Amino acid sequence: MAVNEKGILNRLYFIAGCMFVFGFAVLFKLFSIQYLQGDKYRALVEKRDVQNITIPANRGNVYSDKGGLLATSIPKYNIAIDAVVSPTKKFEEFVGPLADSLSKYSGKSASYYEKAIRKARANKNQYLLLAKNINYTDYVRFRGFPLLKLGAIPGGLIVSQNTKREFPMGAIAQRSIGYERFDEDGNVTRAGIDGAFGVKYLRGTDGKRLKQKIGKNKWKPLTDYNQVEPKDGYDVYTTIDVNIQDIAHHSLLGQLEYYEAEHGCVVVMDVKTGEIKAISNLGKTKSGEYYEKRNYAVWESHEPGSTFKVMALMAALEDRVIDTSTVIDTKRGSKRFYGRTISDSHGHGEISAARALEVSSNIGLATIIDENYSKNPEKFIDRLKSWGLNKPLGVSIMGEGNPVIPEPGDKIWSRNALPSMAYGYNLRITPLQTLTFYNAIANNGEMVKPRFIKAVKEFDKEIEVFEKEVINKKICSDKTLGEIQEIMKNIVVRGTGRKLYSPNFSMAGKTGTARTEYGNYEEWRKDRKYISSFAGYFPAENPKYSCIVVIHKPSTKKGFYGADVTGPVFKRIAQKIFTDTPLIDEVNSLDVKVASVQEEYNNFYETTKTYKTIMPNVVGLPAMDALALLENMDVKIKVKLNGNGIVKAQSVNKSTKLKDNQIVTLKAS
Amino acid sequence: MVRETNRHFKFDWITIILFFLLVSFGWLNILSASHIGSTVDYFDFSQPYGKQLIFILLTLGLIVLLLAIDAKFYERFSSLIYVISMLSLVGLFIFGKNVNGATSWYGIGGMTLQPSEFAKVATALAVAKYISDLNTNIKNFGDQLKTFAIIITPALLVLLQNDTGSTIVYGAFFFVLYREGLPKYYLSIAISIILLSILSLKFGAVITSAIAIAVIMAYHFLSKKKLRLYESMLILIASLSISIGVKFFYQNVLQPHQQDRISLWLRLEKDPAKLQRMKQTFAYNLNESEKAISSGGLSGTGFMEGTRTTGKFVPEQHTDYIFSTVGEEWGFIGSTLVVIVFVLLLLRILHLAELQKSQFSRVYGYSVAGIIFIHFLINIGMVMGLIPTIGIPLPLFSYGGSGLWAFTILIFIFIKLDSNRINEW
Repeated sequence: MAVNEKGILNRLYFIAGCMFVFGFAVLFKLFSIQYLQGDKYRALVEKRDVQNITIPANRGNVYSDKGGLLATSIPKYNIAIDAVVSPTKKFEEFVGPLADSLSKYSGKSASYYEKAIRKARANKNQYLLLAKNINYTDYVRFRGFPLLKLGAIPGGLIVSQNTKREFPMGAIAQRSIGYERFDEDGNVTRAGIDGAFGVKYLRGTDGKRLKQKIGKNKWKPLTDYNQVEPKDGYDVYTTIDVNIQDIAHHSLLGQLEYYEAEHGCVVVMDVKTGEIKAISNLGKTKSGEYYEKRNYAVWESHEPGSTFKVMALMAALEDRVIDTSTVIDTKRGSKRFYGRTISDSHGHGEISAARALEVSSNIGLATIIDENYSKNPEKFIDRLKSWGLNKPLGVSIMGEGNPVIPEPGDKIWSRNALPSMAYGYNLRITPLQTLTFYNAIANNGEMVKPRFIKAVKEFDKEIEVFEKEVINKKICSDKTLGEIQEIMKNIVVRGTGRKLYSPNFSMAGKTGTARTEYGNYEEWRKDRKYISSFAGYFPAENPKYSCIVVIHKPSTKKGFYGADVTGPVFKRIAQKIFTDTPLIDEVNSLDVKVASVQEEYNNFYETTKTYKTIMPNVVGLPAMDALALLENMDVKIKVKLNGNGIVKAQSVNKSTKLKDNQIVTLKAS
Repeated sequence: MVRETNRHFKFDWITIILFFLLVSFGWLNILSASHIGSTVDYFDFSQPYGKQLIFILLTLGLIVLLLAIDAKFYERFSSLIYVISMLSLVGLFIFGKNVNGATSWYGIGGMTLQPSEFAKVATALAVAKYISDLNTNIKNFGDQLKTFAIIITPALLVLLQNDTGSTIVYGAFFFVLYREGLPKYYLSIAISIILLSILSLKFGAVITSAIAIAVIMAYHFLSKKKLRLYESMLILIASLSISIGVKFFYQNVLQPHQQDRISLWLRLEKDPAKLQRMKQTFAYNLNESEKAISSGGLSGTGFMEGTRTTGKFVPEQHTDYIFSTVGEEWGFIGSTLVVIVFVLLLLRILHLAELQKSQFSRVYGYSVAGIIFIHFLINIGMVMGLIPTIGIPLPLFSYGGSGLWAFTILIFIFIKLDSNRINEW
C-alpha cells in the first residue's frame, strides 16, 4: 500500500477539517448577519415596517336573566388631522368649510377651529386631535366633513379605533357585573361577573395580522388572510333580574346614605333554584358617595352576630338536646360565663327557647349551647360542619371569603368560645354563606349553591349551561325545619323584627346587630361600631326569595339595630316584589330610562306600589316618568302636562279611584 | 454467539437520534414557513407541511425495510441498482416533467418523483463497489478514469436536465477518492483551478497571472524541491489558459442568471443602482433570506412568530431557503444548534466509516458523509450568501419527499452496513 497509516489519518483529518472549517464559517457568517451587520439589515426593513398588528377580539356581552343587556363593548373612534399633508391649494379651499362643520358638531366657534388647524399646519403638526371617543354615527359624520372626506391623503384624516365597555344599566350592579381593567404597569384588576368569567368566556382571543408600514400611521395588510383570526368572546347570561336588582340597589343606597354607613351589601336569591336575582355592594368613597367598590357579599367574611343564632338553635333542636318550649333563664339581662359577662339589651327572665330566638337573647342562646355542648363541643361543631358552614361555597365569582368555625384545639378556642358562637361571635362567615343557609330553611331543607350565571353562549349556541346545584339535600328534619320556620316568622310578628311587620304580606327573618372592631373596648366605647344585618325570606309561606342585607358601621346617632338599619331594606324589597307584582311589568320598561336618577327612585316606587286603577302620588317625580307611569295604568286616562321638570301638583288626589277617559292634569316646574 | 446475534440489532443510535432531530426540527420549520392563517390541520395534504408529515411517517416504514434487508444485499446488487438508476435518469428526457426550468421529475398521479435524488445513493453504492473490488487500484490511472466515469455519468445527465445543483453534489466523491488514496496532485490541481477561477473573475487575467508567477517564484526559492524551468513555464501557461478560459466560459457558456449570481457573489458589480436592481430581481431571495436571518437576533422571534416567515417574504422558504426560517424564528442559538447537529452527524459518520472492516462499507460511509456535507455546504452557504446561489435542498430539513427518502435510504443503508461490521462477509 502506497498510502500508509499516517497518510490515511492525515487525509481523514483533512476531510473532517474541511467540514469543521465550513461549520465555523457558517457560524461566523451567521454572527455577521445577526450582529455585525444586523443593524444594517434591520434598518433596511425590520420591525419598523412590518408588524403583527393585534386585532382585538370583541369582548362578550353580559345579559340579565331575561336577556337584557348589562354590559357590552362598543367601538369608539378618535379623529385627528394631519395638518401638513394637504397641498396648499386644497388646504386653503377646505379649511374654512371644515372649521364650520366642526363648529356645528361641537358648538365651539368656527374661528376657534380654523385657528387651531392653521396653527398646527404652521407648526408642522401631523397629529391634531379633533374628537375623542365618538361613536360610529359621529365617526361617519366626520368622514363626510370637507377636507377630511378626501381621506388620509390628501385630506389628512387619521382615525384610530378602540373599544369601550359600556354599562347600559349605569352604576346599578356595576360591581357585580364587574370589569377588567389594566393600569399603566399592566397590572390587571378583575371584578364581578366580568372579572370571574372574563378570562374564560368573555375575552375571546385576539387575532393577528401582518401589516406593512407605508407611511406615517398608515399600515397596509400584507396578506389577504389574518395570521391569527380573532375569536370573539362568549356572551354570559347572568341570573340577575334587572327589576329586583334595581330595587335592591336603591333600597340599600338610600339606607346607607341615611345612616352614613361605611359600606353594605344586599343579595336576593331565588329560593328554589339558587339563582342570584340581585346583588349590590356599596362602599363609601372619600367624597361621601356610594359606589360599587368591593364584592362584600361574596368576599367579606365577618362575625355575623345574631343572624347566626338561627344556626345555633337549629343545631340544638336537631340534636334533640332541647325543644322549643324548654325554659331558659335569661336572668335580668346579664349573666356570667367563665368569668365573662354576657348581656342582653333587655332582661327577659325565664323564657322558652323559641322566645329566646324571637327576642334575640344572647344569654338565652349562650345558655342553651353552653349547657348542652360544653362537655362535647365537637358535637356542636360537627353539626355546623355538616351544614358546610366551615367551607366556602365555591361560587363562580372570584374572591370568595373563607368562613372560620373554630374547634377545640384551635388558637381562637377557649371555654368562652362555645357560648360566644351561640350568638354569632368568635366565628366568621360571609353574607352569601349565611344567605345560602337561610335559603335552605326557606327551601324546606334543600341547600342549593348560589348561581350567578345561567349560561354561556356564542350567539345562540350554548357553550356551557349552569344547572341548579344542590349542596345538601336535607339539612335537618322536617320537625326542626317547621319549628325554625315558625320562629323566624314570629320574629317579624312579635320579635326583634316586629317593626317590619306588615299585615299585607308575610316575611320571615332574623335581625343581627354585631359589634365590630371591639378589640380595644375603651376605644370602641368612644366610637361604637356595629354591623347591622337582616336575613330571611318571603313570603313566609311558600317562600320565593331569600335575602340578606348587611350594613357596616352605621352612624350610631341614627341607629344601629338590625331591625332599624337593614330590616327596612329587606322589607322594601319584599314589599316591592310582592305587593307590586301586578305592576312589575310596567316598571320593567321604565327602570332603564331613569336608572341613573337615583334619588327619585324611592319616590317613584312609593307611587307604583298602589294598584293600577288608583291614582298614585306623582308629586316629586320627573314629569316624563309620571307621564309614563300614568299612561300605563289599567284605566285609560288622559294626562295633560304643563311644564317638563319635576311634578309639583296633580289635579286628582292620590288614592282616588281612576275612571276611563278621566283627565289628569300635572303641573311641573 | 449471543453477542453476535445482538450485534444485528446494534444500530448506531447516535446517528439515528441525530437523524430524527434534524427531520423533526426541519418539519417544525416547514410548518412555520408554509402554514397559512391561524388554523393548522397537520394532515392537510394540500399543504406542504401536511405532505411532509406524511412523507416523514412513511419514512418510518422505509427505515424498517432498509434495516431488515440483509447487509450483503446492498453490495451484491449495487451495480444493478446503479444501472437502473441511470436508466431512470435517461428516461427523464422522454417522460420527464418540467418544474422551474429543470426536467428532473416524473409525474406519477398527483405526485412527483425526482430520480436524481436517488441516483446519488446508487452512485455511492457503485463507487464503493468498484473501489472495494480487489482488482481496483485507485493509484492506477485507468482505474481512476473508470471511477470518474461512474461518477460523471449521473452528473452529466442531471446537468443536461438543467439541474446544476445536483451536478455539483457529485463533487462529494472527490473526498471519497481522496481518502482512498487518490494522488495528492489531484487535490492540488483542484484547489488551484478553483482559486485561479475566482481570482481571474475577480481581478482579471493579468493580475491573476502576476499572482501565479509570484507564487511559483516563491515556491521555487522557499522550497527545497526546486522546480525546473520548463515545469514552471508549463504551470504558468496552464494558469494563464485557465484564467482566460474561465473568463471565456463565464461570458459565453454560462447562462445570464448564472453570470449574475457569480457577479453578485464576487461583488463584480460596483454601480449601486445596478446592485439595487440586482437585489430586487435575482438576488431577491438571498436578500430576503438575509433579512429574515438578521431579524432573528440571538434567540429568534419564536416558533411561528417570525414576521418575515409568516409574511412569506422569502420565496421557496420551505424548500431551499428553510434555514432562513431557523435564523429568524430560532435566532443565532437555534441556527448554531442546527449547524452543530449537522457537523456532529457528519463527524459521526466519518468516525463510523473509519471503523469499518470492509472497504465497501468504508467507501460508502465516506460517500454518505461527502454527499450530506456538499448539500449542507451549498445550501447554507447559499442561504447566507457565502457562495453563489445554487438551488439545492438542505438534507433532512427541506420540504420534499424524494429528497427526504433519498437521504433516509443513503443514511440507513450505512447504518445497516455498520451494524453488520463485525460479521463475516
